[in-house]
Amino acid sequence: MNIRMMKAAVAGSVLALGLASGAAQAATADGTARATILTQVAVTNTSDLQFGTVAIGTGGGSVAVSTAGARTCATTLVCTGATTAANFNVSGATGMTVGISHPGSVTLTDGSGNNMTATIASSASSLVLAGSDSFRVGGSLNVGATQVAGAYAGTFTVTVNYQ
Amino acid sequence: MRLSKFAILMGLAASAWSGGARAAGDLLVAPTRVVLDGARGTEVILNNIDSVPATYRVSLELRRMDAQGNLDEITPENATPAEAQALNMITYAPRRVELAPNQPQSIRIGLRAPADLPDGEYRVHMLFRAIPDARPVTETEQVNNGLSIALTPIYGVTIPVIIRKGALKATAAIGDTRLVRTGDHVELAMSLAREGARSTFGRIRVLKPGKSEPAFEARGVAIYPEVTRRNISFPIDAATAAALAGPATIQYLEEPEAGGRMIAETQTVIK
Repeated sequence: MNIRMMKAAVAGSVLALGLASGAAQAATADGTARATILTQVAVTNTSDLQFGTVAIGTGGGSVAVSTAGARTCATTLVCTGATTAANFNVSGATGMTVGISHPGSVTLTDGSGNNMTATIASSASSLVLAGSDSFRVGGSLNVGATQVAGAYAGTFTVTVNYQ
Repeated sequence: MRLSKFAILMGLAASAWSGGARAAGDLLVAPTRVVLDGARGTEVILNNIDSVPATYRVSLELRRMDAQGNLDEITPENATPAEAQALNMITYAPRRVELAPNQPQSIRIGLRAPADLPDGEYRVHMLFRAIPDARPVTETEQVNNGLSIALTPIYGVTIPVIIRKGALKATAAIGDTRLVRTGDHVELAMSLAREGARSTFGRIRVLKPGKSEPAFEARGVAIYPEVTRRNISFPIDAATAAALAGPATIQYLEEPEAGGRMIAETQTVIK
């Protein structure tokens, strides 16, 4: 076993212990390697923020997807397709307090100079971790009255902040 | 023995990402807080817990706590001299890593403090997040006279990296503990005051007379030096609210690994 592999193995056992116990720092011994159990956090994204498909009808308007995934469509638009809120699972040491931050709005572009903005909202601004925790992110898309048809893409950032 | 522990990790990580077929970027970070109070550096472990390879970027950013306890991002142009100093003092590598599923990588963190650094607490926040793959809009998403929308989340974790120099002291006090009811929703709210040259960090605990187990506990609560008072509220269920109401002792304690010292304690009647 070379040095690199050795390190990976130690890291593996450290994380395994951390996951199994969810404990804060403590010391243990593992053969020749001394390991410290680290408080850890894992963030997984299990669904996307989907607005479905929007057909431009008599004018502009907004399409909102709540943090529960429900759609509100302006009467001037025709909305079809499935909508979902983005879901993020957070797992870490029980009882830890974490904050959640995201931008208030983002810009989507079709790559040809046409833009749309969407506001972003989260179901929680902080969590006290209890074992199976998650938060959801919804949004509201502002479709212009003369919005050019096409495929619009954008990104939004979400961070789980430890204090 | 070592092999079997590694196998446990694989098993747990597998259950973590079995929830859905998703864009890459799920991540695990440990530890969730770093304090450097000497010349020695440390390591943080980043693990790809996704089912596909992903590229992660590690960066430093500045955040300031507000009176509600939110950590607001501060652009480098708006940094105070102490914040700019903190950014300059921390060295870290690697800053960009490609990881196979379940491959851990340690990120080394070092401290390069000038000899004449004034005593005090300095802080940055280390951000770990995946660089998303460009997600092509497939032909099925194209709609005549319509709009198709692809919003890709870029998600990650920030942990504080704190540098302390000198003998720094801080005290805190707990006040205004109460239950706040908004419709069906109940929160345990309180106000934390802090004085001194450093932050406080620990757990908030509510003890009821005659009970040895805390009726409520929240860990990982910091009050950073940029605030002298922060409000904090925890969403709780109705049963917990009923258990908390009445006479109680509220404690703010350091984490056990930091000594477990009592930072503040107060006795009150929670209403």
